[in-house]
Amino acid sequence: MDITRRQFIKSAAMQSAAASAAVLFPGISFGAWKNIDSGGIEWKKTPCRFCGTGCGLLVGVSGDRAVAVKGDPNCTVNQGLCCVKGYHSIQILYGKDRVTKALVRKNGQMVETPLKEALDLVASKMQETIKNHGKDSVAMYGSGQWSITDGYVSSKLFKGCIGTNNLEANARLCMASAVTGFLTSFGLDEPMGCYDDIDHADVFITWGNNMAEMHPVLFSRMLANRKAKNHVLIIDFATRTTRTSQAADKSIIFNPQTDLAVANSICYEIIRNDWVNWDFVNKHVSFHKGKTNIGYGTQDHFQFNDKEEPVDFEAYKAFLEDYTPEKVAKLSGVPAKDIKYLAALYGDPDKKVTSFWCMGMNQHTRGTWINNLVYNIHLLVGKISTPGNSPFSLTGQPSACGTVREVGTLTHKLPHGVVMNEGARKLAAKIWDVPVENIDPKPTYHTVEMFRALDRGDIRFMWIQVTNPMVTMPNLNRYRNGAKKDDRFIVVSEIYPTPTYDVADVVLPAALWIEREGFFGNSERRTQHNEQIVPMPGDCMSNTWQIIEVARRMGFEKQFPWSEKTYIEDIWNEYGQFHDNPKHRMAPYKDLKARSGLQWPYVNGLETKWRYNPKYDPAAEGKDFDFYGKPDRRAWIWLRPYEPAAESPDSEYPFWLNTGRVLEHWHTGSMTRRVPILHRAVPESYVEINPDDASRLGITSGSKVKISSRRGSVTMKASINGRGRPPQGMVFVPFFDESYLINEATLDAFCPISKQPDYKKCAVKLERA
Amino acid sequence: MEKSDRKLGKVFLIFAGICIVALPLIVFTAFSFEPQEMEMTDVQARNMDFDSNGKAIFVNYERISKDYLEGTSTARTLDEYYSRRQYTGSPPFIPHKVEEPDLAAVDCLACHARGGWTEELQKNTPITPHPDQESCRQCHVTSSEVKLFVETNWMSVAPPRLGRAALPGAPLPIPHDIQMRGNCIACHVGPGTVATIRVEHPSRGNCRQCHVPQTNAPLFERESKPG
Repeated sequence: MDITRRQFIKSAAMQSAAASAAVLFPGISFGAWKNIDSGGIEWKKTPCRFCGTGCGLLVGVSGDRAVAVKGDPNCTVNQGLCCVKGYHSIQILYGKDRVTKALVRKNGQMVETPLKEALDLVASKMQETIKNHGKDSVAMYGSGQWSITDGYVSSKLFKGCIGTNNLEANARLCMASAVTGFLTSFGLDEPMGCYDDIDHADVFITWGNNMAEMHPVLFSRMLANRKAKNHVLIIDFATRTTRTSQAADKSIIFNPQTDLAVANSICYEIIRNDWVNWDFVNKHVSFHKGKTNIGYGTQDHFQFNDKEEPVDFEAYKAFLEDYTPEKVAKLSGVPAKDIKYLAALYGDPDKKVTSFWCMGMNQHTRGTWINNLVYNIHLLVGKISTPGNSPFSLTGQPSACGTVREVGTLTHKLPHGVVMNEGARKLAAKIWDVPVENIDPKPTYHTVEMFRALDRGDIRFMWIQVTNPMVTMPNLNRYRNGAKKDDRFIVVSEIYPTPTYDVADVVLPAALWIEREGFFGNSERRTQHNEQIVPMPGDCMSNTWQIIEVARRMGFEKQFPWSEKTYIEDIWNEYGQFHDNPKHRMAPYKDLKARSGLQWPYVNGLETKWRYNPKYDPAAEGKDFDFYGKPDRRAWIWLRPYEPAAESPDSEYPFWLNTGRVLEHWHTGSMTRRVPILHRAVPESYVEINPDDASRLGITSGSKVKISSRRGSVTMKASINGRGRPPQGMVFVPFFDESYLINEATLDAFCPISKQPDYKKCAVKLERA
Repeated sequence: MEKSDRKLGKVFLIFAGICIVALPLIVFTAFSFEPQEMEMTDVQARNMDFDSNGKAIFVNYERISKDYLEGTSTARTLDEYYSRRQYTGSPPFIPHKVEEPDLAAVDCLACHARGGWTEELQKNTPITPHPDQESCRQCHVTSSEVKLFVETNWMSVAPPRLGRAALPGAPLPIPHDIQMRGNCIACHVGPGTVATIRVEHPSRGNCRQCHVPQTNAPLFERESKPG
């Protein structure tokens, strides 16, 4: 037998490869995936299931299974690129423990039950609770991962039909400060700019925003711009060193909470150097102040209402005297020269500047304020609403904008306007075909207070969809104990077992994103449609249809008349009536179905890329800018001071606890941990500790550390010089792992204006365990 | 005498100068001997495809040394190649350790843009077909755990079968999607590639002159026109 030289090399090499691979990864099998036997792949478009970026995906379908993913080259968001979660997103459909049957708790045991029977029970239990305890004893808790139609029918059922404002969504924990920031500064929610700003800007400043991991596709777009142009700068302004800091041209670290002071100091410098764009400020800006010492909401029944007072530029200038770079340097730990450098970048008339932020500024006990303060910077120099000049609030979830903010699935909101406004109630009552008296003019509970009400017993029935609050609520012990109380009835629509599923009395099997038709709305006002791409397994049902089934059982057939074949389109057409004006018109169903997402306002077949600028925005009037959201048609600069965090480190609890995400896992990991490649990349959570703190405490990488706060403790492995590095005096814990419930340690303090909790700052101590 | 001394001194000085300049170069070349690799710096556009990046791909092809083109020392098999993927075309995981150096970015492209021998892993480095993407670990992640959180029912279609020419001896069609994989030579040429899919005629630069994408499109049929 002849063996050629080539074959010999080949076989020798094969053996050595197998050997070296086995050494590197003992136990990883090199068998490829299980094959499905079929002819070819058909590609179907959908938005990605995960973050607020809203990448377009093409899902490869073979038979009735999703088998592959590629980036949708027609989608302007990602232009054919995805991140590792997006590429493997379809694998979330196929975890072995997928919930496919309804479950009902009978004598303490969860028992498989016919879906019809479970839906009957949900409806009758809700009716019974209303009868015994009043309409405000039942609640719905939804999600920024809800499809738009899910949120819309919940609002119609709870606010229009039942007549309670007990409707909240997890976006309260994620985007509420962004919303109140927009409303106070501009009078209308959601960004003025769009992702095209990334291709135009000369300078990017990321405010407490690890984009490299949390919005990776946008980060790549930023890097591509930098690579193409040579002069582009990325400045990472953060409390911890991350992959974003590593890729940035400069990393500036500040002490937690002092972003408030630094933002004011940047404005102080802009005024001192006369970098103010006076033409813009005189024509388009007005100055305002609100209350100070506004509290932290840690007590039950906490109430706060801001009181606005107009002031002038001189008052603003005097207010900023407290924020000289030298004074702020002491408080923030940011050298005065770095503050001046940031101010010079914002102030340079030849540079287009885009600021990005997300949870760092929103999950903040002064979240509304810090949003206002970054708008202040952009407004002083007039860098807004033009390509590349953009204060850009990124969203976390795929439809936090589309479903929660636009449909208004929050206690005070309606699909158009707020419940307190009579006109908004009348419009909703007319479109919904309900008596206007049904809609309660008084908001009830925001999310934290809603779970407090559940604990107290003011709420007895809660239906939870597409979210996992038994992992994500801050000060978790209290809220889990509340949910488990005997006379509380918890309904959970889920796809997999989770800690929230564990406290349920009824579990309804839900259809996943591409198993049903739906819509998401991303960070840049883009509405994205997906058709049903694969069949639903078992008894799974879309969240929208579950709500419709229950509503009909409660006697609201008239309000929920749609057929199962066309209900998504019918709901879209009904919902569209709420936004039928040039400020917010949504694209028609057929356009959304045909294209990879369309931005509102969508007027006469055209998307709006930059709002408040008459060149691009059909609702804007005049020559250059028109901030039509406010009655004075100006953008508002707010005098917002620095105030300390709700809980700061002290001698007993000497460390800041900061929590967040990692690239590979989506929120609580209930989906991404079931994706092999993602789980294998980050199989468990850990606590990042600064190397100096670790060596002082005798902690080594991989050793166990007990993290305790005044509320709870978690013992987990230490990570030193791993993916991120907190400064001395701070630890960071990713919250995706249900085995290490870090939210048992976090504090349920929130921004008094937005009611959004701060997951980034509370005090803990560390012990070797 | 004095003059010739000075002359000698000058010569010596020049020689010393040359030595000083040349020595690091010699040392450097000695240590970086391994195959002349690819230069991929010209490619700018995102999510590159041959159709929009043909020129850049040609420029890079021109720069590749003959040694590299004909390199065959690969240790990779097709099985191993697919075992790192969840479906054909998915981003493979990183099969080696990645240190996160303190406060410095991990530069994957230092090796994966150009290829070449790595002492540490005793292998030739495979080359990325999309070196324009810098944030590599956005898609490629390491693997540190064997056990799954929950078992999965995942399935995908079989990897494309090789060698399916339309006629005996005809050029093979391209059996895979070319989005982000438009630069054929990255994966089909050189010592870092999978042996089974390495081409035997690497010196022909214009691959798609003979190899065309294979699709599921139905055969052409002329639409019948009225009348």
